[in-house]
Amino acid sequence: MDHFERQLAQLMRTTEERVSFDPRHRDRLHAGVRARRRTRAAQVGVGTLLAVGGLGLGLFLLPAGTDRVEPTAPRPGPASGPSSSEITGPSPTGEAPSPSWSPSFRPSFPGSTTSAPPATGDGATSTGTATSATSGVPQGPGGTSTSGTTDPTGTALSDPGTSAPPSGEISAPPSGTFGSG
Amino acid sequence: MGQTRTAEFEEFAAARWSSLIHLARLLTGGDRHRAEDLVQEALVKLWFAWPKVADEAPEAYARKVMVRAAARSARRRWWGERPVEHLPDVAALGDVSTAVAERSRLESALARLPARQRAAVVLRYYQDLPEAQVARLLGCPVGTARSHAARGVARLRLLLADVIEPVG
Repeated sequence: MDHFERQLAQLMRTTEERVSFDPRHRDRLHAGVRARRRTRAAQVGVGTLLAVGGLGLGLFLLPAGTDRVEPTAPRPGPASGPSSSEITGPSPTGEAPSPSWSPSFRPSFPGSTTSAPPATGDGATSTGTATSATSGVPQGPGGTSTSGTTDPTGTALSDPGTSAPPSGEISAPPSGTFGSG
Repeated sequence: MGQTRTAEFEEFAAARWSSLIHLARLLTGGDRHRAEDLVQEALVKLWFAWPKVADEAPEAYARKVMVRAAARSARRRWWGERPVEHLPDVAALGDVSTAVAERSRLESALARLPARQRAAVVLRYYQDLPEAQVARLLGCPVGTARSHAARGVARLRLLLADVIEPVG
């Protein structure tokens, strides 16, 4: 600290003016304390309102958010056995089943309970199926088409409603059997 | 706050009022009204912190509040001043003495410093605080506080050259 700095420090101290703490200072101080107390109370009130409002809004929006993130149910796996009766109806080829294919309309074929509907859809099979479906004629054991009798496996005209057709397990009949008859 | 605490606080305020006002005047560059506002603000904050700091260092707490408020004041654009029709009473000519003249020169010189430089100089040379404590009060690194104080003193050296005689 050099001479100037010492003189500066001394000048700052010697120029102090004695000031008394008057009643007006005390009153002003008390007024300031009251004002600050009111301000703090208002701040606490506003903060509480905001917190409660935010919490309420969060709780209101929470169920909708949970539904969005809920995991979906697992997809049912493919049926592995012919005994599963749920998988009936449309063929795996994507053809729409005809109403005439209902079990009440078409009698079942003897010996065909373990058979499967046509699993693959080449042109000949589809055509034969559609023809028999739209004709509406019941096909009995004796009145079946020649294709049914010539079918070496006996699975061509089986009822799709009585057996489950897992597409990967049961092979399709030879396409030539339908088309030839 | 209880009656005892209130009495203690008012006793402290009455005892330290003069020195706090002087510190505030140095920090504000001699503005008497701003100095009173500064002390008022510091004491109001001290009132609420009194149960915690009464037994430790209440004056240091008030000083910290004043220094930070004074350093902040440089960023404030308006001090709530309003024009009035009648000017307040001014000091009579007979009041002017050598001490008052020196104080006026010192305060006007301090008023020409930036707020943070002024606070650093006042804390360093009037309060005689070490640089680390000055930095802590200003809320800045020690090097910054040292730089503020050095620049402020260099400016005052020019402004107060005729008041403080150099060593011959």
